Amino acid sequence: MKSVTTLAADLKTAIGLGETTGPVGEQVLSSQGRLAALVVAGVLAAFAPVAEAFEPFWLNILTRMLVFALLALSLDFVFGYAGLLSFGHAAMFGAGGYTAALAIREVTTNALVVLPASMLVGVVVAAFVGWFSVRAKGIYFAMLTLAFAQMFYVIVFTDLPATALGVETITGGDDGLFGIPLYDVVGIDFGSRLLYFYLTLAVVLASFAVLVRVANSPFGRTMQGIRENEERMRFIGYDIQRYKLLAFSISGGFAGLAGGLYVPFQSVAQPGLLHWTISGELVVMVLLGGMGTLWGPMLGGALVIYLEERLAGFATWEIILGSVFVVVVIFAPRGLAGTLVSVKNDPRNAIDNAKGALRNYAEKVRG
Amino acid sequence: MIESVLRATLLGLQLGVTLALVAAGLTLIFGMMDVINFAHGALYMFGAYFGLLVAETLGSFWLALVIAPLIVGLIGAGIEVLSLRPLYGRNPLYHILLTFGIAIMVQGIVVQVWGARSRRIPAPELLTGSVSIGPVTYPIYWLFVLVLSTVLIGAIWIAIERSDLGILMRASAHDTEMVDALGIDVKRVFTGVFVFGAVLAAVAGVLLGASRSVHPGMGFGVIIEAFVIVVIGGLGSFKGAIYAALLIGLVIAYGALIAPALTDLFIFGLMAAVLIVKPSGLFGATEAA
Repeated sequence: MKSVTTLAADLKTAIGLGETTGPVGEQVLSSQGRLAALVVAGVLAAFAPVAEAFEPFWLNILTRMLVFALLALSLDFVFGYAGLLSFGHAAMFGAGGYTAALAIREVTTNALVVLPASMLVGVVVAAFVGWFSVRAKGIYFAMLTLAFAQMFYVIVFTDLPATALGVETITGGDDGLFGIPLYDVVGIDFGSRLLYFYLTLAVVLASFAVLVRVANSPFGRTMQGIRENEERMRFIGYDIQRYKLLAFSISGGFAGLAGGLYVPFQSVAQPGLLHWTISGELVVMVLLGGMGTLWGPMLGGALVIYLEERLAGFATWEIILGSVFVVVVIFAPRGLAGTLVSVKNDPRNAIDNAKGALRNYAEKVRG
Repeated sequence: MIESVLRATLLGLQLGVTLALVAAGLTLIFGMMDVINFAHGALYMFGAYFGLLVAETLGSFWLALVIAPLIVGLIGAGIEVLSLRPLYGRNPLYHILLTFGIAIMVQGIVVQVWGARSRRIPAPELLTGSVSIGPVTYPIYWLFVLVLSTVLIGAIWIAIERSDLGILMRASAHDTEMVDALGIDVKRVFTGVFVFGAVLAAVAGVLLGASRSVHPGMGFGVIIEAFVIVVIGGLGSFKGAIYAALLIGLVIAYGALIAPALTDLFIFGLMAAVLIVKPSGLFGATEAA
């Protein structure tokens, strides 16, 4: 058994979110990885019309999977890279979603206008929350973001803005806003589910490219440095707070974008979008996928949505889903991404490694 | 007016001490093992449901109040040994994923076994009816919950401050390494603390199951309240958790009086205000985790 001596030391580094990914300075995504991402996108794009023809239900799941992949990606950018455990990402998601709903209803259905607006509102909300929260560390930061997100939830749920302005309704209260149509872009109508899927795919792919780019930039390196050793970065002369706030705001923008894609697709904006359970699920998606890799959490997000959709028919689906989380965290601590990478690097010993993990587990349980 | 404020105060105190039972376990588990236990609400819910089971089959609330926490304590031991123990020494974030998974499983199990409909544990006849305290009539059951929870919390407080076991617990939380080096089996202490926390949560579950209601969403409902309490008090601080629980209980009760729909806004607003002013909670260590 690992001695308690190392345990204490580990906990200390872990609280600063150390020991999570590879060494600082590693490329976020190798050229091989980029190719793989393009291949996946290509396969999805080719598969969509087939799904549309035979099983339209699949197209729905795929679109939802993409949206949550984007959301998990946005969280991993700030959580896996800057070490900021946000427990309030649902706030930006919901803010983007409601922005889309209100903009589509009152102003325009043009995606080129509405999506950037959703993103901008996501940035603004994140900047607001971050302004108050980045000073706190670790779990206190998580709880502050949670607190703000829950306050936004109550504000939307009770439609406080309408009360404050003395109008009948703005957010629609607990009913939400119904009948939100799909987007169009000048000349192209995204009214069909298939085209909407392509729009979503394109936005998610572009977001991924942008965030990988940012993560590989000097800014991304600085974020990793802050995650690894905040004190040292401060002494070197970095304004830690400003970097954190910036990272959080960028992340919030992409969460808002995800909301902007989600609401027209579901045709409804509901307060549930901002509820903490969404934030909690997002953290689970990121950890399940493998934090700090950007692509892993996207996989995690897609997988959770898939499982939820497919298992929803079974009476015991929550038990199965919960067991999957438990098994993954015990036996695949670096998430799906970590497992995939280790199987790829060492395919022959995969079974031996699995056996070793089981032995290791039994040993630890016995103590 | 005075009547309703007094009534709200009594209700708030009752809710506060019962929530303190839940938060005490949560804060002790965090303080010692650095585990952010999302399954704590699930154990509270299990307490309520096993309480319901015992009360319905054996027809006794009192047996329920004793047996259900024992069952939940056993379940807690199983959870600690089989799933948490292999994870010590890893990034505490993984405990979130793990215990979140367990919480979802428990929720599924509860829906499978007991169904989704909301129920209530029948309170014993002895405790029905109400008494007059000054100008307000107050249900005897609430008074019983208030007294029992206060006694329990008081006893735990004294035990932690005075008894050898309490000293051992505090020492383990303060410097796990040193306690281990002194030849004490810290693993057992960890299991013991987790089971203790589970039992307390289950007691709270049975108590509130007879005054609020028993339903599958109650675990996730209480866990956020408990986290808020623990964070306001300062993570790992037992004293802080108790004060914060009373504070939150009162905020909920007064909030219900002023604007019931906005209670959550007050709670989270209070938490945000506390953390902005004092980033490590009221009684937290200055160097926050």
